[in-house]
Amino acid sequence: MKPAFRTIAALALAAAWAVPGLAADPVRIGVGIARTGPIAPAAAPQLQAYELWVDQVNAAGGLDVKGEKRPVELVVYDDQSNFANEAGIYEKLITDDKVDLLLSPHSTPAHFAIVGVLERYGFPVVGSTAASVQLKELEPGNIWFPTSAFADTMAPEFAKLLKAQGVKTVGLAMQQSPFPQEVAKYFRPALEEAGIEIVADEEYAMSAKDLTSVVSAIKAAQPDAAVILDLPPDGVLYMRAAREQGLDVPYQFMLLGPSADFFKKMFGPALDGMMTIGHWTPYKAEWPRAMPFFEAYTARFGEEPDYLDVALSWMSVEILQQAVAQAGLDHDALREAISSMTFDTINGPVRFEGVENVETPVMFLQIQDGKTQVVWPEAEASAPVAKISAPAD
Amino acid sequence: MDQIFSMQLLIAALVLSSIYVLVALGLNLVYGTMRLLNVAHGELMMIGGYVAYWAFALTGTGALVSMFAAVALTAGLGGAFYLAVFRPLSRRAALAARLEQNSMIIFFGVSIVIQNLMSLAFAADPRSYDYLDTLIDLGGGRVELNRLVILGVGTAVTLACVGFFRFHRLGLAARALIQNRDAAALIGIDADRINLMVFCLGFGLAGLAGALVSMTEEITPFGGFPYTIAAFIVIILGGLGNLAGGILGGILLAFIEIYGAALTSSAYRSILIYGVFIAILSLRPQGLMGRRLA
Repeated sequence: MKPAFRTIAALALAAAWAVPGLAADPVRIGVGIARTGPIAPAAAPQLQAYELWVDQVNAAGGLDVKGEKRPVELVVYDDQSNFANEAGIYEKLITDDKVDLLLSPHSTPAHFAIVGVLERYGFPVVGSTAASVQLKELEPGNIWFPTSAFADTMAPEFAKLLKAQGVKTVGLAMQQSPFPQEVAKYFRPALEEAGIEIVADEEYAMSAKDLTSVVSAIKAAQPDAAVILDLPPDGVLYMRAAREQGLDVPYQFMLLGPSADFFKKMFGPALDGMMTIGHWTPYKAEWPRAMPFFEAYTARFGEEPDYLDVALSWMSVEILQQAVAQAGLDHDALREAISSMTFDTINGPVRFEGVENVETPVMFLQIQDGKTQVVWPEAEASAPVAKISAPAD
Repeated sequence: MDQIFSMQLLIAALVLSSIYVLVALGLNLVYGTMRLLNVAHGELMMIGGYVAYWAFALTGTGALVSMFAAVALTAGLGGAFYLAVFRPLSRRAALAARLEQNSMIIFFGVSIVIQNLMSLAFAADPRSYDYLDTLIDLGGGRVELNRLVILGVGTAVTLACVGFFRFHRLGLAARALIQNRDAAALIGIDADRINLMVFCLGFGLAGLAGALVSMTEEITPFGGFPYTIAAFIVIILGGLGNLAGGILGGILLAFIEIYGAALTSSAYRSILIYGVFIAILSLRPQGLMGRRLA
């Protein structure tokens, strides 16, 4: 019995080893992202999106590389929340790990950091969580940005949105960090040009632990709209101070807080009516890929996808997947495909001219009954803009 | 200018004071009795925060109950850590002499290990829950109940600690140890026992602060560091190892932050805090209530 058992076991083992050998070699996909350090909490949802995509692709039989299905393998390095590590990581992924494809890192500075390496090796990467006018103006040749949330194009559209609601005065508060500052730089003149007066103009430090006096200043100015250029942690401070002071402003806008899942869980119905940047919602019937993605992500991770970061990360892998299906893994062919194809994504069609996505217009989101809807422009809206009727409490 | 005298601003300053005082209290205790610089204090807070978050997410239990579990867990960690690491180190004369400097490196390592263990165990994405957010009217100001709870529990626990160290035998023994380790040992105070108690208490207070703060802030594995920094500013401002000084330092820091921002701009928060910090230390290098020969 024993020798027979051994033979069977050996055969079984050999078979187990042999099966992957018969399958196509995996496509290795590299990414450098913050898994530790202060950026890690913001980067985690993006990595989750990548992991979900890899699992979905493998479950569906692999990545279509010009007609051949190959399994996908993710090679992840932790940049330790240090953007100075990013270029080295991507160079290592290209030259040492010899990955077939690259996914983009988290945040604008990290995208900035890898542009040089991508140019040097001619390695095309679809960007994701980056939206800097400065980066766009660099006109790099191997990276593309699916977002339409660039400050320069958002600003006039935002002014239009406010004007359409009859807003004449705005109370502004800005956190002193690069993205809010860049947005403020474009928002201020755009509002003035639209005849909207900025009646309170506050700034606060990144390390602020309380925004009571900022909200008091906005409240005292009695504006028609409050515009808070925040990052999510200080957005929490604004929300609490605004609730406590019963800030009675019918239109309120926050830059980044409301797109994060934890924000909704923390404030629930008090967040209703809050507007934010972003151009994606799962509730738009014209985007049939959106809701299945939303459901898959929510089921897997127990939280909603971030409406900016996760949506953009998912779009970036959808774009890459469709480009690889047509062009394969050759860098030149892939670059050509990304530059010229029209892609079908959870955010509708995407096509690049230069580094910019020219299909997705600037949009704005609003939370209504707990659902994040596209409310502007009207032609793209999944729901109309709603007024906050009374102080949230 | 009306704003300066508003109840709203006073409430904000008191709530922030209670957080700073509570966070600094545990750090000060451990430093005071053993001269150990616990730079992992903020990470212990985050452990407390995760206990409260998971208790709410899994069972719907609020922080008012789960804070006891947070304290038990972090106090247990403190006890285990003392017995496993610091007691053996303090018993070797050569190492004990360098323990104060070395403690910073040891705790720095601990903080990184805790951060990354939490990151692996829970993923790094921010967690939050909605609890006790009813608005309470308070003499012209309004405050969310959860922030009022932080103020109430923080103040009560701080007063209890002050009472304990003023009147209880063990508390008095710990203070004797803070004032003079050798003399305390000479009169028969069991330093080992007191050290163990202080470790449990110091770590437990961090866990409590974390559980309380989780009601109003998002919890991430890396969210503790700013609190460690704030706690260090508070205890250095008040006088290292001086509990009353720490309380004064915490209140001062919060009032500078809230009223300084209201009088000037929230943009100057760091300049105000560090400006006052440097000014006070240049006048009183030992801190507000520190002894000249600490």
